[in-house]
Amino acid sequence: MSRWRFLLVFAAAMVLLWIAPLVLPLGDYTHDVVGLTFMFMAAALAWNWLGGYVGQISFGHAAMFGVGGFVAARLMLSSGLPFVVAWLAGGLVAGVFGLLWGHPTLRLRGPYFSIATIGVGEATRLVATYWSDFTGGSSGLSLPLAGNPTKYQLYWYGLYLLGAAVLISYGLRRSRIGLGLAAIKEDVDAAGDVGVNPTLYQDLVLFLSGTMVGICGGFYASYQAFIDPQDMFSFDRSIGLILMAVIGGIGTVLGPVWGAVVFVIIQEFLLATYSELYLGLYGALLILIILFEPLGLTGLVQRVHRLLLRRPATAASSGAPLTADRRPT
Amino acid sequence: MGEVVVLAVSAVLLAGFYAAMAYGLGLIYGVLRIVNLAHGGIIMASAYVTWQLFDRFAVDPFAAIPVVLVLFFILGMGIYLGLVRFLPRGPAGAVQSLLLLFGVWLVIRNVVYLLFTGNEQVIHTAYATSSVRILGGSFSATRFAVFGVAVIALIALHLLLTRTYLGKAIRAVAQNPDSCTLAGINVERVYLLTFGLGTALAGLAGVLASTLFAINPSFGAGELLKSFVIIVLGGLGSILGIALGALVLAFAEVFAVYAVPPYLTTAVGFVLLVVVLVLRPGGLFGQRVLR
Repeated sequence: MSRWRFLLVFAAAMVLLWIAPLVLPLGDYTHDVVGLTFMFMAAALAWNWLGGYVGQISFGHAAMFGVGGFVAARLMLSSGLPFVVAWLAGGLVAGVFGLLWGHPTLRLRGPYFSIATIGVGEATRLVATYWSDFTGGSSGLSLPLAGNPTKYQLYWYGLYLLGAAVLISYGLRRSRIGLGLAAIKEDVDAAGDVGVNPTLYQDLVLFLSGTMVGICGGFYASYQAFIDPQDMFSFDRSIGLILMAVIGGIGTVLGPVWGAVVFVIIQEFLLATYSELYLGLYGALLILIILFEPLGLTGLVQRVHRLLLRRPATAASSGAPLTADRRPT
Repeated sequence: MGEVVVLAVSAVLLAGFYAAMAYGLGLIYGVLRIVNLAHGGIIMASAYVTWQLFDRFAVDPFAAIPVVLVLFFILGMGIYLGLVRFLPRGPAGAVQSLLLLFGVWLVIRNVVYLLFTGNEQVIHTAYATSSVRILGGSFSATRFAVFGVAVIALIALHLLLTRTYLGKAIRAVAQNPDSCTLAGINVERVYLLTFGLGTALAGLAGVLASTLFAINPSFGAGELLKSFVIIVLGGLGSILGIALGALVLAFAEVFAVYAVPPYLTTAVGFVLLVVVLVLRPGGLFGQRVLR
């Protein structure tokens, strides 16, 4: 897709989604869930910048989600800052927090980094749970009613978040930085040899990713109007982000958006009735996708597309990751 | 002074369990270059099997070890044959294997949850409260038994890896699978047996864990992290490396009570991991870390 065509489609989609609730008879519940889904989409895209573009699988993104949420909530409680400013501040703190643990650990590759992120996530959750002066401990924090947007209004803020995340996703992939990231994913030493500074690039992406996920945390805090550390920092939250990206197509530009749709549908409709099955369902999904269609929905669509057009695959076809994720063994 | 000695003994006892726990992860990683993210889940599952054997059939946890070893050896081979075998090798396979085995972990957790609910379970053996007095401290007899089993298991493994054809084949494949094919070693079969062996070792760790800790379906995340810290600390070169890595971690955790509140001991392993990886990427003792 050319740049102009992408921007045109993007702008049209944003306008349509912006006016949709005004003209369509959406129920309150659907309206709210769609708004929340926008936030999940943005967070999943942000996870994908690190997990997909660079290939550094993070199991600890809940840490930034929680930090962003709690900083935003604290700011709104103590200083009465407008909520958007509080979200942004929370996001920035989350991004810096990401850099703090990411700068040393991002030199590690593959499983080393991933396991370290499990440690980050767990350690952050423990500290947050016990640091009750800041997080309210196990009883959590309630946000002030005044100054906090309603769920109805949050639909549009969710849409703005999603729009920003999509633009960054596209920009990162199409820019020089995107090429650098793809080079790092393929071979970190070779990337260094051709003048890509892996430390700088990866730090930058983690900062961006952490900031966006932190802002999403702030959004979530406003959405729920009540947050507690066990929920914000839970391992399940990190798992959720991974799943959305994997379902949609890890490393693709827009895959996580579709993945988030599937994830929310599963969560809201299937798991409302079979709540005791959710981990197993997520696990089974992961296994099936990795075994049969490592690029998730995006891979599936491409496969169908190829079958229909009877055309051989090209790496440059829209949305495909720059690096071939499946090679002949 | 007395307190320090008591803590040191405590750390050594803990290190025995840690070494047994880490070896399964290290073995699979060294040979297949795959981090078995289901490691913690397998430890948890085997702890539940041990609990069930004790609860229903009154089988002593330590007597259950042979059964669990066979069971989890078969389970490991099943996971390899059914799932891991199909992953591509190389960097793309590394990301996929992480996600795949993570999925396996989630499924195990859910199955255990469905079967036994999320409640904590404890094994109360007749000797659970008996203690041993040594060096001015009082230690539970179970901890000594766990230490003994762990040491025996590590020695048995060492003998297996150095004295048998299979062991030599495993070590050869860890060094260079391509040359092994040339030398007539069935590499695919070595992978299969290694995965089985590594899983059986995780099973053993689960038996030991069930005698020490209360278990629930989310048990195992910390064990996975600690196992990984140990193989990074000690390198994959030898039993000695693993034992030293386990000792360092155990001492750091036990003596951390002087510096940090108790709920943060989990974080000690993580901090150690980051510090070592940043300062000494080759492992604490200068051994080559297989990557």
